[in-house]
Amino acid sequence: MAILELLSSIFLVMGAAFFMAGTIGLLRFPDVYTRLHALAKVDNLGLGLIILGLLFQVPGLTVALKIILIWLLALAASSAVSFLIARRALNRGVAPWKAKEQKI
Amino acid sequence: MILRTVFLRIVLFIAVWWILTQGRADSWGVGLISIVSALIVSLVLLPLGLFRFSFAGIFFFLLYFLSRSLKSGIQVALMAARLDPGFHPNIQKIPLRLPEGLGRVILVNTLNLMPGTLSVDLTASSLYLHVLDERQSIETQVRDIEKLIAHMLCVELEES
Repeated sequence: MAILELLSSIFLVMGAAFFMAGTIGLLRFPDVYTRLHALAKVDNLGLGLIILGLLFQVPGLTVALKIILIWLLALAASSAVSFLIARRALNRGVAPWKAKEQKI
Repeated sequence: MILRTVFLRIVLFIAVWWILTQGRADSWGVGLISIVSALIVSLVLLPLGLFRFSFAGIFFFLLYFLSRSLKSGIQVALMAARLDPGFHPNIQKIPLRLPEGLGRVILVNTLNLMPGTLSVDLTASSLYLHVLDERQSIETQVRDIEKLIAHMLCVELEES
């Protein structure tokens, strides 16, 4: 039992760390496209790890399936929304940020 | 064939409702209405007979997806933590080989979650990707995912 709780905590902390990294990326990255990279990918992995951690604590099968379903729906939503934001930004002429040595 | 697809979709929606209500018996009245509505919407949005799923294909796709998700998340987390993230971003154009429809939608959404790629536009023949590092070829990854999706949906890739 204690081992399950320990595993659960490890995954939860790892998930939280990825969310933290994603948020730092969101604040630090230079333009809308790179920020979307940070958001979508970290949602996927951070939420996945948190759900994996919670799976060690669920009381029954239906709850387990429900949180897995939540993960899949959140993935589909975050990916689709990223694409829509990126496409809108491109259509409005937002130029992607370039590294310094590329700007010639 | 058509009956089988409708049957599988009904089973899927019943399963989703059962999961959402955590198996409670007193919600099946609303559930019945929701399941019928979901079936009608799914028939409008994804008409029957255009494709079918291969279960082995889904399995290989998920396996690839999970392993690459891990890489993708770690890569972005490391970039966020470094002083100089080392970006060389650019927008690249990739000709598509998947037929139009569901396959392309899955490709666009999968690439958003894969390492270093973000879909920014989709035209009839090409996909525009924002890549974090233009010095690395991204085409191999796109081609791999295209193949997996084609296998999953039992469709043929067009020659480009």
